[in-house]
Amino acid sequence: MSHISRIDLVITSLSDLDTACRALGFQFMNSQRTYRWFGRWVGDAPMPDGITADDLGKCDHAIRVPGCDYEIGVVQRGERYILLWDSWSAGGLVEKIGPNAGILKQAYSIRRVRSEARRKGYRIRERRMNQGVRMVVTV
Amino acid sequence: MKEIVIDISDDGEIRLETRGFTGKACIEEAAFLKNLLGRETHRQLVPAYHQHQKKPARRYLPLCG
Repeated sequence: MSHISRIDLVITSLSDLDTACRALGFQFMNSQRTYRWFGRWVGDAPMPDGITADDLGKCDHAIRVPGCDYEIGVVQRGERYILLWDSWSAGGLVEKIGPNAGILKQAYSIRRVRSEARRKGYRIRERRMNQGVRMVVTV
Repeated sequence: MKEIVIDISDDGEIRLETRGFTGKACIEEAAFLKNLLGRETHRQLVPAYHQHQKKPARRYLPLCG
């Protein structure tokens, strides 16, 4: 091996996000301009960069998760997309997408790597590990 | 064999490791995946990174005289 990196996910592909949603049984709602949440900012969680309280509840697209009262907002900021969602337990989202939306982010990352590696003609192996998924790309 | 191993945790955290590369080639080869997924926040170089790629040995040595 020669180096190890840690990467902060930035969502840039709506089509891979859509594919990830479908794989998880979620519904990507293209151009839905609002998403369901508690409706009032109570300051119990840090706000994502570039987002203010006025932005909450508004979005460019949304994600519906079966069995959840609340929805996930997908907000475009330049070339990237930010996920806005209310982690209040009554909304049901934490159970389905995990803290920090990890399950949705994982599904997106897998699709992103898979589609690009295939496009480049690289071989990919995938394996479920204890706390995640390992993808091995042979270049 | 040159491989890039990507571990994506259930928390959404991403760790990328290159294997079988020597020198700076690993950085170049893995760049497309880093750009694809987001921002690199931490990088740790391992000994193989500092190894230079082997130059092909000369079969015939120039002789004088």
